[in-house]
Amino acid sequence: MFPTPIAKTSRTWQISYQILVPLVMLIWLLPLLAVANFSVKPEADFVNGNYWGIPSSFDAISNYGKVFFESNMPRYLFNSLLITIPTVIGAVALSCMAGFALGVYKFKGNLLIFFIFIAGNFVPFQILMVPVRDLTVSMNLYDTKTGLVLFHIAFQTGFCTLFMRNFIRALPFPLIEAARVEGIAEWRIFLYVVLPLMKPALAALAVLIFTFIWNDYFWAVVLTQGPDAQPVTAGITEFNSQFRAAYHLMSAGSIVAALPPVIMFFLMQKHFIAGLTLGAVK
Amino acid sequence: MHSILKTSLAALVAAGVTASSAAAQDLSGELNIISDMSNPAPRAVMEGLAADFDALHPDLEVNLTIVDREAWKTQIRNALGANPPDVVNWYAANRMRPYVDAGLFADISDLWAEPEFEALASTKGAMTLDDAQWGVPYTYYQWGVYYRKDIFDQYGLTEPSNWEEELANCQTLLDNGVKCYTIGTKFLWTAGGWFDYINSRTNGYDFHIALARGEVEWTDDRVRQTFANWRQLIDMGAFIDDHQTYSWQEALPFMVNGEAASYLMGNFAVAAMRDGGLTDDQLDFYQFPVINADVDFAEDAPTDTFHIASGAQNMDAAKEFLRFVTSAEVQTAINGGDALGQLPVNANASIDDDKFLAQGFDMLSNNAGGGIMQFFDRDFDAEMASVGMEGLQEFMVFPDNLDDILARLEETRQRIYQ
Repeated sequence: MFPTPIAKTSRTWQISYQILVPLVMLIWLLPLLAVANFSVKPEADFVNGNYWGIPSSFDAISNYGKVFFESNMPRYLFNSLLITIPTVIGAVALSCMAGFALGVYKFKGNLLIFFIFIAGNFVPFQILMVPVRDLTVSMNLYDTKTGLVLFHIAFQTGFCTLFMRNFIRALPFPLIEAARVEGIAEWRIFLYVVLPLMKPALAALAVLIFTFIWNDYFWAVVLTQGPDAQPVTAGITEFNSQFRAAYHLMSAGSIVAALPPVIMFFLMQKHFIAGLTLGAVK
Repeated sequence: MHSILKTSLAALVAAGVTASSAAAQDLSGELNIISDMSNPAPRAVMEGLAADFDALHPDLEVNLTIVDREAWKTQIRNALGANPPDVVNWYAANRMRPYVDAGLFADISDLWAEPEFEALASTKGAMTLDDAQWGVPYTYYQWGVYYRKDIFDQYGLTEPSNWEEELANCQTLLDNGVKCYTIGTKFLWTAGGWFDYINSRTNGYDFHIALARGEVEWTDDRVRQTFANWRQLIDMGAFIDDHQTYSWQEALPFMVNGEAASYLMGNFAVAAMRDGGLTDDQLDFYQFPVINADVDFAEDAPTDTFHIASGAQNMDAAKEFLRFVTSAEVQTAINGGDALGQLPVNANASIDDDKFLAQGFDMLSNNAGGGIMQFFDRDFDAEMASVGMEGLQEFMVFPDNLDDILARLEETRQRIYQ
């Protein structure tokens, strides 16, 4: 079996493995640790060139206090929520329905539509930047949360539909047939038979999409401008004033901005991993 | 902060000292202002200005729109083109060129002809294009050499007033293992400041501006002289090593830790140095020394401005607003330490009790007879500036490449300004 379970390897390899794992983890986390270190330093440390050393004074309270009470960060965090949650609901709801239609019904062009959904995933979204921006401007959606939500839903639905359709395909079809024999309306089959069976997929997808959207930077920068609509990923640059970059506040802000997806991950770890491997093993 | 400013402005209003109060009753209609003062403190200043002007003129409705400062740089053309506002923010000198050429800024030479505007003489040159004035300044800040006074005292050095003293100072510092200057050229613009100063001190303001306008070849002998002077410092090793890897902020520790003695920078550096623990006893300022005694001092002082759109609907109110923001009282209030914390342009304005602001204000008002430069990337055409600053950085690292660099800059000049 590959990889060989660590318990079955030689003692020397086991020892070096046990040493290497924490070491590699430390190197892997180094940038994050640096940001965490930055976030508790006073501004003076950056002017003095004390970038990597021990903070000259422990300013966590003042730095995080400034982030929460003297900047627009709470506003940006709230915007992020207002953008992420509707997008998750919208994308998951649409893709459930599309996945159901594509997975259960046999009609002309079924495969073609499915392929179009998949093909959408292969378009690098950067090339859509200019047309999408122009479209939002002409629809009066530029610099609004609604605009961002609509486009996120549109872009995420392709991936979600692929995911959902394959999941529904894997469900035992006789269940649906049995329901039909009982004379149940199709929409009730969807609602009462298929949807409950999809719960693991729903949870996994919701968690995935939540982190995708929360961490989105590209569209946030392209489609929004000020604290009225910008989510936290884009708003963090607010700590750059006209002349100076406030590294300590930006670091503190980044930590705060990164917390929700991290919390989400730990709470929903099971679903997250299920989401990544769903459909990988039959 | 906002309320302090408002109260002080309100007091002015109540006292009726504003130069224009006689005409105050005549204005009516709407005044639409688009401002790029989007950072928190400037935003409060702008909102205060609009509110006070509104209060001064009961029949006038002042509408203020604040746009993100960076975004405004791309939006201004659109904003001035379709359905233009009356008053907008922008920058002085060559940055006005595209909008002046396109006829989007209104000619306000008549305002500048009024006696009150003589107090703004230091920036008149910077507001002039094609022999007419196109806007008014509301704030600027000085550039110059900020140095560690304690290090200078330790080695018995004094502020240099000419190039020989400058080089001698530098040699003493280097002999003692201290670099003369810290600089971070990673983002290029800092090298532009050095070029501005050495070129204007060597060849004068008029030559510098002619070069900025593309009227002089980069391969001109006078330009070579500038680089030759600059090279004296580079060959001595006056600048910190590997400066091309630092941003301007990342170059600060060298000065704060005493590895370098001075920094050619804008006044905004003072706040950072104080944050780093330098006291006002350790830190001092001097004007960039004379190189060629035949030319007058020209100083970098990037100026932020107000302009009237040529399509303005309410020209009278717009002009009155420009008179309002340039008056000594208003400029004093908006540039205070609790507001913008910079220098008022009006020579009759007063400034905060800060030794760097005081020296800067005195220097710009009394000792900048050559003229006020707006900084390399504002005086030169945008594309010329970006190619130019790359060349300057390359020169600072590989001074032997000068011929290549100048040929490249000249090629760019011919393409851009033909």
